[in-house]
Amino acid sequence: MVDHILEAHHLTKQEAQIPPEDWFEANETLQKLRKHKKFPTIWCSGCGLGVVMGALIRAIDHLGLDNDQVALVAGIGCTARMPVYMDFNTLHTTHGRALAFATGLKIARPDMKVIAIMGDGDALAIGGNHFIHAARRNIGITALVVNNSIYGMTGGQYSPTTPVGMRATTAPYGNVEPPFPICDLAMAAGASYVARSTAFHALELDKYLSEAIANDGFSLVEAVSYCHTTYGRINKLGTAADMMRALKDTSIPKASYDKLSPEEQQANTKIVRGVLQRKNRPEYTQIYNLLVEQQTQREEIRPRNTGRR
Amino acid sequence: MTIKLMQGNEAIAQGAIAAGCRFYAGYPITPSTEVAEVMSRELPKVGGKFIQMEDEIASMAAIIGGRVGGLKSMTATSGPGFSLMQENLGYAAMAEIPCVIVNVQRLGPSTGQPTAASQGDVMQARWGTHGDHPIIALSPISVAQSFDLTVKAFNLSEKYRTPVILLTDEIIGHMREPIELPDFNSVEKFEQVVTESPETYKPYSNNGDVPPMAAFGRGYRYHITGLFHDEVGFPTQRLDEVEPWLERVNGKFERNADDILLYETDYQPGARTAVLSYGASARTARHAVKQMRARGEKVNLFTALTIWPFPETAVEALADSVERIIVPEMNLGQLALEVERMAGRRKVVRVNRANGEMVTPDMIIAAAEA
Amino acid sequence: MTEVEPVATQVQEKPVRKGPRGKVRIHATWCKGCTICVEFCPTNVLAMHPSGRHPIVVAEEKCTACHFCDTHCPDLAIVVRKLN
Repeated sequence: MVDHILEAHHLTKQEAQIPPEDWFEANETLQKLRKHKKFPTIWCSGCGLGVVMGALIRAIDHLGLDNDQVALVAGIGCTARMPVYMDFNTLHTTHGRALAFATGLKIARPDMKVIAIMGDGDALAIGGNHFIHAARRNIGITALVVNNSIYGMTGGQYSPTTPVGMRATTAPYGNVEPPFPICDLAMAAGASYVARSTAFHALELDKYLSEAIANDGFSLVEAVSYCHTTYGRINKLGTAADMMRALKDTSIPKASYDKLSPEEQQANTKIVRGVLQRKNRPEYTQIYNLLVEQQTQREEIRPRNTGRR
Repeated sequence: MTIKLMQGNEAIAQGAIAAGCRFYAGYPITPSTEVAEVMSRELPKVGGKFIQMEDEIASMAAIIGGRVGGLKSMTATSGPGFSLMQENLGYAAMAEIPCVIVNVQRLGPSTGQPTAASQGDVMQARWGTHGDHPIIALSPISVAQSFDLTVKAFNLSEKYRTPVILLTDEIIGHMREPIELPDFNSVEKFEQVVTESPETYKPYSNNGDVPPMAAFGRGYRYHITGLFHDEVGFPTQRLDEVEPWLERVNGKFERNADDILLYETDYQPGARTAVLSYGASARTARHAVKQMRARGEKVNLFTALTIWPFPETAVEALADSVERIIVPEMNLGQLALEVERMAGRRKVVRVNRANGEMVTPDMIIAAAEA
Repeated sequence: MTEVEPVATQVQEKPVRKGPRGKVRIHATWCKGCTICVEFCPTNVLAMHPSGRHPIVVAEEKCTACHFCDTHCPDLAIVVRKLN
């Protein structure tokens, strides 16, 4: 695809992969990328994931976090391929289990900012059990769920967030299963910060991700995105640009939603963007560490090496 | 030095703490729950952390996350939970994350008999997770050895960056025996040391069997994945990066066999019969061999402590020196398959019981007389 | 973080003030030709290269440094630097 560009720039393929020297310094987003990782990314041309990645980097940069302080944990799927491109501690785990791995990491390093990056299937189908328990514990992890309502990596099967009636490679006659409302699920399970925006509203994502990461407890940010390659093609929703525009046209800010009458709210089909939950709940590792401190002090006087007396 | 009467499962927990384990994530399951209970009580006293996760899949994931965060980690379970842990156990083998998984075997398959003992997960310990991968499994035969082999499991897991399975069973796990607890500070603990700077650090370097692992959050911002990866951890499909990894990781145990393969031999010159056993059945074998020797018979006793990798050379040498090897197991013949592979089927006499009851000394003696 | 201007979402022809307020740079090798930047640029600074493989700047003076393109490029292949 890039051959004509290479000739134009008299570059070899290898040279072309390495951007011009000052490219990475061009803005903050690029500075947090892994310079020795091969770009461009593996995602399809126009995929919203790259936009969400940009928002995540700006959010982390906005908080002034040291790169060593940040750990990104991902499961399996298109979304899960995000961490490897960024210069943080990155852990690419098994399908659905990002939050379980992240729980162990957060307990071992409560001082680190742990962010679990998952797609809708990864987080809500196979990962559903870990999702509700991480929220219930209110453990200091930010769950960034990129919701494109499909399993993209495996070629377009329906997921727990695919709307009823829409088609997929495994729902050729239309999906009959009602989808999960991710944010309601997280709130019901106990998440202390919940917000939703879309890949079109990138700067909103910057803001919500910053707030989510800054929140001590379990934060969920649902980033509604699209998959034009599978879901868009099967359901004839147009190009990536069309689906990006649709995110703008089919979403409303929470402030407008709140002004609607109950009936209008009931009939609403638009994506509601905004901070849906901000609760002050004790964070799991802080509470547990209090117990540990109590125990270690009480044990000061007794010789430690003989187990239970 | 203190002598205490202690349950096998508790000895495992104490051994883990002695070895430097500071994180436990588990899920209740008979007959291993006591390990979790002791860890939940003892870990906080030494500044360690315990969590009861929502299932065994999450428990296995959490201990990997904990070790990546820098804490030596362990979980304990039994058959059904061990089955659930397989995928993430394979992840620990691929990403070379040290951790210890205790399987207090109970009678299976399925729910089976939760309070009955068995040795029916031997092959699962080796091949439970998908794909070719190296694994270490150790089997204690007493409460004291449960302590020692847990310490050994942690040190082997750190030294060779691998998950290690402590393959015990309900009998050894639930019985109480006297145990001399050493001073935990004097217990040898293998610690990985990263000498390279973050700029040059290669978490999966292929020169040398085991590149040291840097924990997260200490300046070594690298990538860990379950995909095949290159020396810095990035996913790859290139053969010139995949094959060196395969060669190193799948060969790191053979090249260090004498450090990993533990077994006890009690041979009598001129013996034509041997009894090879492990775990609870090794206690029966000991008794049977004592009785046979009391009647003037010469018998060799081989007790395998390392089940995987299988101590091939030692068993091959034993096979050359005897006519028959009796292999008592509380299953329908699993480690016997390995013994037959080394000694030939005709030389191996299987003594099997898979009904929850122990193999008895008489069964072994009868097999020797047949 | 640089002070990022609010997203200009309405597309209409603004009166052109003297000179561009942003400098656009494109890293064509990272670009996968998805056209999002071209279609959403409020002042049509960009257009697709004849090959259709990546954008080129066709109206540099119209750039208002609104940063829509570089915050919505899925491949981080375009950067806008605010000119003061």
